[in-house]
Amino acid sequence: MQKLLERTVAGAGGWVELRYQARSTKRITVRNGNLEESSSALLAGLGVRALVDGVFGFASTTDASERGVLAAIEAARSAAKTSAGAKKERIKGLADASMATGAFPVATDDPLDAHSLEEKLALVLRLDERVRSGAKEIASSMASYGEIQDEKIIVTSDGASAHVFDSKPELRAIAVAGRNGDQTMGHESSGVTGGWSDLLGIVAPEELADKAVQVAVDQLAAPHPSGGTSVVVLDPGLVGVLCHEAIGHTVEADIVLGGAITSDKIGEVVASELITLCDSGATEYSPYAVGILPVDDEGVLTRRTVIIEKGVLRSFLHNRETAAHYGVAPTGNARAYVYSDDPIIRMRNTYIEPGETPLDEMIGWVKEGYYLRELGMSGQADSNAEFMFGVREAHRIVDGKIGELVRGATISGNAFDVLKSVDAVGDDFAWEHGAGACGKGQLAKVDLGGPYLRCALTIGGRQT
Amino acid sequence: MSEHNLLDQCQRALDLLRQHGADRAEVFGQTTRTITSAAEKDDLQISKSRQETRIGLRAFVGAQVGFASTNTLARLEDAAVDAVTLAKASPGDPHNVLPEPTAVGPVAGTYDPAADAFTTADAVKQTIRILETAKSVDRRVIVGEAEFTAEIRDRVLVNSAGAEAQEQGSLFTYSVLTTARDGKAVSNMDGKVGATRSVGAIDVEPIARRSSANALGSLGAEKGETFNGPVVLDPYAVLDLFAPLQFQLNARNALRGMSRWKDALGEPVAVPEFALVDDGRIPGGVATSSFDREGVPHRRLPLIEGGVLRSFMHNAYTAHAFDAPNTGHAAGSAGSLPAIGPTNFSILPSEAAKEDLISGVKRGLLVNRFSGNTDPVSGDFSGVAKAAHLIVDGKVDRAVSGTLIAGNLFEALKTLSGISRETESVFNYTFPFLRLEGISITAE
Repeated sequence: MQKLLERTVAGAGGWVELRYQARSTKRITVRNGNLEESSSALLAGLGVRALVDGVFGFASTTDASERGVLAAIEAARSAAKTSAGAKKERIKGLADASMATGAFPVATDDPLDAHSLEEKLALVLRLDERVRSGAKEIASSMASYGEIQDEKIIVTSDGASAHVFDSKPELRAIAVAGRNGDQTMGHESSGVTGGWSDLLGIVAPEELADKAVQVAVDQLAAPHPSGGTSVVVLDPGLVGVLCHEAIGHTVEADIVLGGAITSDKIGEVVASELITLCDSGATEYSPYAVGILPVDDEGVLTRRTVIIEKGVLRSFLHNRETAAHYGVAPTGNARAYVYSDDPIIRMRNTYIEPGETPLDEMIGWVKEGYYLRELGMSGQADSNAEFMFGVREAHRIVDGKIGELVRGATISGNAFDVLKSVDAVGDDFAWEHGAGACGKGQLAKVDLGGPYLRCALTIGGRQT
Repeated sequence: MSEHNLLDQCQRALDLLRQHGADRAEVFGQTTRTITSAAEKDDLQISKSRQETRIGLRAFVGAQVGFASTNTLARLEDAAVDAVTLAKASPGDPHNVLPEPTAVGPVAGTYDPAADAFTTADAVKQTIRILETAKSVDRRVIVGEAEFTAEIRDRVLVNSAGAEAQEQGSLFTYSVLTTARDGKAVSNMDGKVGATRSVGAIDVEPIARRSSANALGSLGAEKGETFNGPVVLDPYAVLDLFAPLQFQLNARNALRGMSRWKDALGEPVAVPEFALVDDGRIPGGVATSSFDREGVPHRRLPLIEGGVLRSFMHNAYTAHAFDAPNTGHAAGSAGSLPAIGPTNFSILPSEAAKEDLISGVKRGLLVNRFSGNTDPVSGDFSGVAKAAHLIVDGKVDRAVSGTLIAGNLFEALKTLSGISRETESVFNYTFPFLRLEGISITAE
């Protein structure tokens, strides 16, 4: 296939990018002891992007024969030509980049295909049973396993010819607890870039189940927090969510050009000097982070991008088009989820670098506040960096000690204001290593993380 | 792939499932052709075309089920082997059944033959119209994203019980995401969507105008006030807040013990004025089609009438488990097992005008969008009221930002004090304005 694509690109003339992708997936879901889903998918196809008269056109096909590839190139060019007359600002060129060549295998000693379906099913049944029998209040249990294995061949007319492999398994446990007509939910997940034992080594499945049960049951008796501004200690999971959802999207260069609040802030102080925030396709802090991406979907070798350095905004996240627009080097953030998606700017592993304060010291200084752990059911953020996240587990902090659990907490505010309020950064680091994906018209597997942070933000609660 | 060829391939897949050991089987095939024109930052960005055939194969071995799908016809046999292998490895479940074959009659307005002649150039024109309309409202408006998509979809369902259904559909969807910027002040983002089944009914201008107006309305918003009181929700905010009702009405969630209403059939769950209906046969409806993901005809289904819970949404599995009628709500694509989902989902309007809902409020909040979360299990909701305005002495007052609202969905249904006669469709959801009472409102 790689030879066919290289040959076709060489004969095509003009700028074209061909991306063949073969994907296999498996999903197993067990709920209340019953198998709800046992499924697989075998997908393959070709995505073609052409640049004609300063305009992109894109076409996709499942016909990966030479004739099919040529037809898709023609369709992409035709789409570009159709828009060309009406586009106000033509693309003047694509930024030069370190284009990838060669093979990029997954770093694992334990590939997913070496493990049988029966073994995977047994794990999910065991996980579901562990949730169900975790407490007498459990009204419903769910456990699931999912895996995505990708093989991509990316060939461009300006030098990329990369054969990239990827493997991302994940586990999830959900517990619903009930008492006197009241119901609460606890959910935990784990995910990696890697193989079977890499997944099981990140968090023991039993630990996932027990934590989901504990969160669900404990919340049954918990009061709601009272709303208002508060000092909080965020765990690495929520720090990662803040980095990704509330900051990261506002520095994606396509969003920036669409009017994001960051558009004129390069070089300005946007956070506490304790904050250095990065996005990387590499393997900092862990070889298994979910967003590891050696080559992006424009065929560019990825690199670590420092977005905020000691509180100063240093860089946006770019593809080759926006990098040319801003006169900087591409950051390797162009990603496409499946062959029929065109590459757009997405994050990879987004995080805040660790600082120097131990967690107990960070909490010990708080007279009255909250300790907040992990993202709840959902979160949303705007291009002006305003955000609202549900919190999975929230505890009051009273006189320097973690105390009572509260339920239904949300946090909100402007992410840059929150980062300016940071007065302590933890000396530890953890990736979220979760399941799920980021959505921006198409999905992307990402990771997020950081140290513990102490800052001020608004807790959503109830007025009485 | 033509509809005829798709039927042939689905029949072939059905034969392959049987050859490899399935004693009952179902195959769902979809061919989708789309043309998309997308814009970013006030300018055209890219045009795209896509064609894919996806075939989903469900194998039954006794009470065991396995599912596989592929978009590569050369791998149809591999997918059949996968589906049967997955079934044989799985625990059995007595409710794994195929629906009884039922005659499928056509419904009106699902396919416009003019869609066949729709071109990339036509899609580009519509996207330009979105951009121009949004900008014509005010030059401070920035169109972050706009998109127009034309889609033609062929669907085929065959099963070993003799079901054979096929249908062609056309759908045009359009969306816009705007912000307004005035100096250093940046408004909230505002997104609007529209959709229709026929070429002649495409009208992208209303969503562009409304999105621009909402973005501008939130520019210069100031800190709100903290109190407990009534909240009037725009239909978009109703969707944001009330979407979890679908979770409660999903029979699978009742079976799982996760729906709060699992034992509430025939009981009041809302004020008597509240009625909720799902109807997959509305002529020209965005989610209208003649049959569901398992080949069962869609129907009009009152879910809540007079505030009383009347029915859950069922597919074959839950209908068998509850010994209830199959309501034709099997949902999903050829890439997934049949789940349960709504079609055209509506809260029915009432007599009151939207202005009446507002004029009856001494001190409250008008919310155009809710950015937060509603826990589908507990019903607790909490989040930011976007593009919100204070209501003072029955009149819409100043715009406020950073205002949180919190409450409980189930309590809100039993205490809501107003349903408007005006409705707005947000894709397949049609909702009126609603007035909720006793909501916790917190200014940041």
